[in-house]
Amino acid sequence: MSQQATALPPEAEAQHEPGYLAVSNVTKRFGAATVLDSLSLSVGRAEFVSLLGPSGCGKTTLLRLIAGLLAPDQGAIEVGGRDLTRVAAHRRNIGVVFQNYALFPHLTVAENIAYGLRAKGVPKAEQAKKVADALGLVRMEAFADRAVTALSGGQQQRIAVARAVVVEPSLLLLDEPFSALDRKLRETMQIELRHILRDLGITSIFVTHDQDEALVMSDRIAVMNEGRIEHLGTPSEVYARPKSLYTMEFVGQSSRIGGVVTGGRDGLVEIDTPFGLIRAPGHFLSGSKVVVGVRPEAIAAGEGPAGEYNTVRGTVAEVIYFGSRTLLHFRTAQDDDRLHVELNRLPDTVSPGVEMTVRWRVDDSRVFPAPAGDDR
Amino acid sequence: MALFGSLFCRLVLGFVIVFLFLPILIVLTVSFSSSAVFAFPPPGFSLRWYASLANADSMLQAVWLSTQIAALSTAISLVLGTLCAIAITRGMIPGAKVVATFMASPLMLPGLVLGIAFLQAARDFGLRDTYSTLLIAHVVITMPFIMRTVLASLSLFDFAMVDAARMLGRSYPAALWTVLVPNILPGFVSGGLFAFIASFDNYPVSIFLVDVRTKTLPIQLLNQVEMSPDPTVAAISALLILGTIAALIVCDRLVGLKRMASI
Amino acid sequence: MTLARDDLAVASTAKPARWSFDAKALIAAPGLIFMGLAFAVPVLMLIGDSFVDRDGLSLAGYRKVLGDPYYIGIIGNSLQLACITTAVCLAVGYPAAWALARIRGVWQVILFALIFLPLTVSIVVKTFGLTIMMRRDGIINFLLVNLGFIERPMRLVFTEFSLYFGMVNVFLPFMILPLYSVMRMLDPRLLDASASLGAGPVHTFLRVTLPLTMPGVIAGGTLVFSISVAAYVTPGLLVGDRFMTMSQVMAKAYLNIRDFQLGASMAVIMLVISAALILASSYLVRTPGGERR
Ligand SMILES: Nc1ncnc2c1ncn2[C@@H]1O[C@H](COP(=O)(O)OP(=O)(O)O)[C@@H](O)[C@H]1O
Ligand SMILES: [Mg+2]
Repeated sequence: MSQQATALPPEAEAQHEPGYLAVSNVTKRFGAATVLDSLSLSVGRAEFVSLLGPSGCGKTTLLRLIAGLLAPDQGAIEVGGRDLTRVAAHRRNIGVVFQNYALFPHLTVAENIAYGLRAKGVPKAEQAKKVADALGLVRMEAFADRAVTALSGGQQQRIAVARAVVVEPSLLLLDEPFSALDRKLRETMQIELRHILRDLGITSIFVTHDQDEALVMSDRIAVMNEGRIEHLGTPSEVYARPKSLYTMEFVGQSSRIGGVVTGGRDGLVEIDTPFGLIRAPGHFLSGSKVVVGVRPEAIAAGEGPAGEYNTVRGTVAEVIYFGSRTLLHFRTAQDDDRLHVELNRLPDTVSPGVEMTVRWRVDDSRVFPAPAGDDR
Repeated sequence: MALFGSLFCRLVLGFVIVFLFLPILIVLTVSFSSSAVFAFPPPGFSLRWYASLANADSMLQAVWLSTQIAALSTAISLVLGTLCAIAITRGMIPGAKVVATFMASPLMLPGLVLGIAFLQAARDFGLRDTYSTLLIAHVVITMPFIMRTVLASLSLFDFAMVDAARMLGRSYPAALWTVLVPNILPGFVSGGLFAFIASFDNYPVSIFLVDVRTKTLPIQLLNQVEMSPDPTVAAISALLILGTIAALIVCDRLVGLKRMASI
Repeated sequence: MTLARDDLAVASTAKPARWSFDAKALIAAPGLIFMGLAFAVPVLMLIGDSFVDRDGLSLAGYRKVLGDPYYIGIIGNSLQLACITTAVCLAVGYPAAWALARIRGVWQVILFALIFLPLTVSIVVKTFGLTIMMRRDGIINFLLVNLGFIERPMRLVFTEFSLYFGMVNVFLPFMILPLYSVMRMLDPRLLDASASLGAGPVHTFLRVTLPLTMPGVIAGGTLVFSISVAAYVTPGLLVGDRFMTMSQVMAKAYLNIRDFQLGASMAVIMLVISAALILASSYLVRTPGGERR
């Protein structure tokens, strides 16, 4: 998956002049609960940004604020330089694809798509043409006169997209649009939707709690946690250089080893862990409690040159076979410390209980302050 | 034994249906009788009582008044009740459960008690106009029927559709009108039908509110039954029954009878 | 038309969202204000009126009603009327609803419609039909004589027989429909299971069928009791003054003798009976064994 993300044209980010959508210091409370806490987000024109976070972290709320279906308690929302904070939802010209599509069951497929055009007073002849174009875009020409209730999930999904883009919105918001689809269909739809939106050049905000989906589809990902954005960056940045332990753990698999800093020099710190001494890039005071994170695929079996690599020995706790690869789990007495190692080819001798040496590059280690309450 | 049990139950059901239809069939039979007395079996067949309806001015006036009151009160309840039900369903107002129970509670009160309450209040507030007093009272009578069916329909309605309509350029009221209304139409039809029947057929509330010149149909009918029962009353009753059946069939075509009754 | 009154707890459909004010909430205002002024205020005023006479606060109305054996007897009449009507409706309605719920296919639709249709016919019309049936030359006497049960037609109008015959006729569907809606949900395999465990039909009925259909019994019973205790048109036409009920007294108090405090006190007593009944039934359906939903 990281290959796909890094395969994006390197200038992808540069194309998007930032600030087309500007969410500034937006706060939203429901009663006593602060759901969004002074959140800011800037998205460039034609950019595709995912909001990624666990359910309940405020993704839908942020989307509804941008759409105008909710009003913020504080902060401002601008699109294309126009302040929309006080503009009614129906005057914002923002398209939304809802989680369960919210198609109108009393209208046919074509009438669903024409709904927004009618609301905007587009002449009849032009309506028909645009509806036909939109149907072509999502490859649903044959279904124009069907009842929407007779469509499959994937087809409904396409109609929902067609209905939202046919009015040429200045911004498209998608709230977990694939969550109701099975996995196979979801994967085809992800690619297809990405192509459609890139061709149309629509700026899109895409909500998901599925990290793979975010990595595959996005120009940039905003990792959200409890009403804040933890990390905003390209998929490869977010995956390879997460800014926080939260991001590291939420996006992709990771090993997590707790320890105490014992010293450091040249931008490296030495950390005492249950697996022995580990070195990692970073600046921490001696005695700080930290957590070291490593991606499983960065770890290899066997020893490495001492200068560049961390080498540790541990007892294999579990072997999980995936076919093309095998995942090894190492555990220590502290249950929370875990070392996941992903191997393409499994040495014959490895089985639970066996001692084994593994290595990874010092540069591939990420160090984060230990979360509060994590006292070791 | 089980066979016997189910046979017994079926027999009872058959008996019940005959029993329920007896008075209705009797009224229909009598309305076609050639005789002015209600003897059974009737001595002959005629349409004279239907013909005599043309001269039954006070009866026709009552039909017209009841139709107006029932139609207007149902329409008002539909609008006020639906708006309220939306606010309740969407949790826009505090104590939604209490509010829903309150709006539906006139159905739980004995009709006469309601009627007396309206009578007293109209006197105390100096409301003298019989027509408007009747109309207000009938809005209260019809409201529970609308609340029940509309709340039930709304609980199945996906409000994201309203949001979708707004994002496609319709204001909130326009979104409700173009998306919510067509989708909960079955609820409107069945709720409206029951509300209409409840108002059209209401006796215990109206009896306290009518005056000599402004009488609703049930009042006028009962008067006639008590004072001078003749087959003219049966003829108008027969027409009412046929009208009801026609309305039920139309509504059944629109939304399905089972669906109406189960709400 | 009222199928199951305790379904009025419709508010369970409402989302228990925590509340924050939203201008859209104003759409509820017209309906709420209307019902407040046109419904809540008059009912509260009526309750207030029952405690007031010409000289101010007084309990004279209640003293008159509750201290006079005549009025106590009338309250008793109303309760007796409601109890017998409910009992007969239950005895007849239960097997009928059972048969209706067990039948499948198009016949169920037809039979259901036949039970439902009489509900939509005006009570005045039905009661009028009943009075014709009860005449000396009416169909009941015609049948009784021709079937050889009696020699000569007998007087039925203004007898308690005609009263209960009419009450059951008018209110029976209100018992059948709630029973039916519960029985339709019942899984017939439960009964087979009970039978396969060696339970006899009586045992199966008492230990399985009856407890499972109890919510329908309670709903139908509450409904029929509460409308028949307040019935006015049917008893009025079928027995008239020979069997005075609370409803007759209330109507007379306002329409004839103009003793408003008497009428208001009677009305409040009836209100209390209805409220107690509804509370009791909602308590019953909540206790284990009578669970709904
Ligand atoms: N209308 C509302 N009233 C009260 N709380 C709400 C409302 N909408 C959302 N919340 C709360 O706000 C938080 C974030 O919700 P949401 O934005 O839907 O999360 P997500 O889409 O990320 O799953 C949740 O804890 C939710 O309970
Ligand atoms: Mg969400």
